[in-house]
Amino acid sequence: MSSAVSVQQLTKRYSFSRAAKGFGGALAPEKVTIEAVCDISFEISAGERVAIIGPNGAGKSTTLKMLCGILEPSAGGARVLGLVPWRERKALAYRIGVVFGQRSQLWGELPARESFALLRRVYDQDAAVFVRRLGELSERFGLAELMDQPVHRLSLGQRMRCEITASLLHGPALLFLDEPTIGLDVTAKAAIRDFIREHARDHGETVLLTSHDTRDIELVCDRVIVVDEGRIVVDQPTDQLRRTFLARKLIILRSQAPRLAIDMPGVVARPSEPHTTVLEVDTRTARIDQVIAEALALGGIDDITIEDPPMEEVVREIYAVARRR
Amino acid sequence: MTGPLRLYAIQSAAAVRTSMADRANFLWQAGGMFVNDVFMLALWALFFAGFRSVGGWRLPDMALLYGLIMAIVGAAGVFLGGYRDLAASLLKGELDALLTQPRGLIFRLLTRESIASGWGDLVGGLIVLAAFADLGWRDLPLLAIGVAVGLAVYVSASVTFAAMAFWAAGARSFARDLTDFTILFSSNPPSIYHGAAKLVAFTLLPAGFVVVTPVGLIRHPSVAAFALSLGAAGLYTGLAAAAFHLGLRRYRRGQSPTLGGT
Repeated sequence: MSSAVSVQQLTKRYSFSRAAKGFGGALAPEKVTIEAVCDISFEISAGERVAIIGPNGAGKSTTLKMLCGILEPSAGGARVLGLVPWRERKALAYRIGVVFGQRSQLWGELPARESFALLRRVYDQDAAVFVRRLGELSERFGLAELMDQPVHRLSLGQRMRCEITASLLHGPALLFLDEPTIGLDVTAKAAIRDFIREHARDHGETVLLTSHDTRDIELVCDRVIVVDEGRIVVDQPTDQLRRTFLARKLIILRSQAPRLAIDMPGVVARPSEPHTTVLEVDTRTARIDQVIAEALALGGIDDITIEDPPMEEVVREIYAVARRR
Repeated sequence: MTGPLRLYAIQSAAAVRTSMADRANFLWQAGGMFVNDVFMLALWALFFAGFRSVGGWRLPDMALLYGLIMAIVGAAGVFLGGYRDLAASLLKGELDALLTQPRGLIFRLLTRESIASGWGDLVGGLIVLAAFADLGWRDLPLLAIGVAVGLAVYVSASVTFAAMAFWAAGARSFARDLTDFTILFSSNPPSIYHGAAKLVAFTLLPAGFVVVTPVGLIRHPSVAAFALSLGAAGLYTGLAAAAFHLGLRRYRRGQSPTLGGT
């Protein structure tokens, strides 16, 4: 399979001035250099769906920005669809789609349809091809009733569906998604994940996404690259990562009793406030439904929540295991 | 119309529609600015009723100057409204999405916004020019050139000021202040400026080139006045492009304070 993304020893350093300590420090600031991305190398094959995950400040967005051509690296090299992104930015732009979860490429006051029409001009797209692709995406994403409403009246999930549609209209071979499900509710997240996975599978698009949400990774991607402090800590198939690190769930029980005692193999109680019991469940050993059944049998349960462990926690564990190796 | 120009025109038209989406707000802003401009001109009319002339400038000359600045600021606000808070757009990282697309940066940043109050300036300016500036039909071509030159210099100066955001995070308010000073300096007869003030008005703040030079071209057309006007427009446009692209290079190298997350 041909390579869609090839990264060799890519490094990005930021330098900035910071006031040194003391009164004199304000007059003579010191120069500080941080390595946001440090000597990373990886290959992504055409059609692969890859997640880059890591805690805040790990270097995910910087990596994505270099591969989109927004930022120039301090050292190292990369080729995206055969092009050097920061030197051939405009040529690359015709072949990639980019979604920044926290920034919109749509006009808030206007219907999404008008933004789509403007993007046709941006990408010099033939009118007939544009109409056909918009029709396909609209049908697939259920946009027919949304496209004529001002974007600011759409829910966050509806807006994200429009954002992804906007990034796909010109038929990119590679899709960059920076936190595509951030801030969405459970239903909207599921719809976005299904769409990305199915569309990429049907059209052979390569997907590179960053996320804080482990479910984005499990449900969309074939492979995960974990970064921490600018370095690649783990690079392995999602199945393998799931077996090793994503098998834990948190069950949070709010109860009338100050504490619930559940003694099952694979279930560990975490420290928590009174009337709240937080159980860490290793799903390779204990089944979620059995743990909940056990809790319900104790009686006096007011609320049950099932959560994935926070990404920071997962990455810390991955990092700890990687260091032990 | 060629591809990029058509794109900018369509984007500008979309921005105008956006600014009109809230009809009541649009009318308040546009009407309020119109009333404000009329009030300022009325003050000058009262002034000239008493003094007749300031350094050789009479009320029609003042109306020409004032009408030009209103039309220029109005046209900039309506069609290139992104200039007004361009530094803030850069600081908020709005360049990122545009950098992932294949078409122009500066004009897309400028045309993606339209300022409702600009209509008050634009319509008011055209009325003042038509009714009080003592202009005839034959002056129309030179008036059009004057507005185009003033618009180019004014917006270019604003882009140059905003490009400081690539170097300093605190550039937002400073850039706006410099743009406002340019309008302020432009709104007075040039005869009141001497020495250092005049130097500033024709260099750092190109207020002189925004309206005084176009007024000279319209009132006393000559090859020299024409060359000076076009030269100023070309020079400040070039400066703006250079400042923006130098700053953009810093931004893309990660040396700018405007960069977002890692």
